[in-house]
Amino acid sequence: MKTHQEIINLLEDALELDTNSLTMDSVLADIPEYDSMAKLSIIVLSDEEFEKKLSGEQMRAFATVGDIVRFFAAG
Amino acid sequence: MDELANKNILITGASRGIGFDLAELLDQKGCNLLLHAGSDLGIQRLKEVFGGSDRHCFWQADFSKPDMLAVTLQETLQFFGPLAGYVNCVGLRVRRPLNLLNVATATEAFVTNVVSHLEVVRIITRKGLFAKGLSIVGISSIASHIGSPGVSIYAATKAAMESANRCLSKELFTKGIRINSIIAGQVNTEAYKELMQSKDSQVDLVLDRQYMGLIEPRGVAAMCVFLLSEQSQYINGSSLPVDGGYLV
Repeated sequence: MKTHQEIINLLEDALELDTNSLTMDSVLADIPEYDSMAKLSIIVLSDEEFEKKLSGEQMRAFATVGDIVRFFAAG
Repeated sequence: MDELANKNILITGASRGIGFDLAELLDQKGCNLLLHAGSDLGIQRLKEVFGGSDRHCFWQADFSKPDMLAVTLQETLQFFGPLAGYVNCVGLRVRRPLNLLNVATATEAFVTNVVSHLEVVRIITRKGLFAKGLSIVGISSIASHIGSPGVSIYAATKAAMESANRCLSKELFTKGIRINSIIAGQVNTEAYKELMQSKDSQVDLVLDRQYMGLIEPRGVAAMCVFLLSEQSQYINGSSLPVDGGYLV
C-alpha cells in the first residue's frame, strides 16, 4: 500500500516533473505537462502499479492531483 | 465447391477480432481449421463455437514464450495434417508513452508479435509439414506506416513482421510458398471498443484520416481469403492495405 506522498512522487516521475512540484490540491488543468501522453501514462500506471482499470470516464472526472491519488489509494 | 474447401488453415489469435471473423468465414467455405488462442478463455470460446465440427482442431500456446511453440505445434500438425494456409492475427497492442516503455514490456511485444510469428513460419514450412501452394498472411497495422504517439513499440513490431515477411517471400518461393502482410486500418473489434473505453477522449483521430469509416473485421477477413486463394498467385512479399483510405 502506497502513501499519498508516494503516489504523488510516482505521478511526478511519470509526468517528468520535479520532485515535490505537485500537491494534493494541484489543479490538473493548470499543469501544462498534463497532456494526452501524460493521461496515457496515468492509465498505464493505474493498470501496472495499482491493478486498476481506469476508464476514460473516470479519467475525465479527475480535477486535481488529489482526485487521482485518492483513486489509486482506495482499496 | 469453394476453392478453399477441405484445405487445412491455421489461424493464430482466432478467439477474437479479425481472427474470429476469419474463422467463421473459412468454416463456411468448408476449410479444416486449426484455431489458436493464447488463453484458456480464448480456447474455450473457440471450442464452443467451432467444436461441433470434427473438421476443426485447437491449439493453445502462449506467444510470449516462443521456445515452447515447436513441440506443441509439430505434435498438433502430425494429427491435423499439412497446412495450405496460415494467417497470423496475434497482435499484442501496447499503448504507452516512452517514459513507461520498460524493457520487459518492449521485449514481450516484440517476442509475441514478431519472434513467435517467425517461429511458426519456420516450423510449418519444413518439408512434409505444408501442402502445395501454402499461403501465409500476417496482419499488420497502419500504425507501422504512419507515426502516432504512444504506440512506438507496437508500430515497430508490426513493421518488423512486414519486413520479415518481405524477406521470407524470397526465401520461401522456391518451395512454392507465398507470404504477404495486410495493413489493417482501425477495425471495429472488441479490442477497439476497449481502447475507446479507456481513452481520455472519445474522439478517434484515426477516423478523421480513415475517411471511409471504421472497418468491420469481415473486410480484413475477405482480404485474407483472397491472399489464401490461388487468385492471388502472383502476389508475394507484399503489404496490402485494407485501411478505409487511411494511407491515401
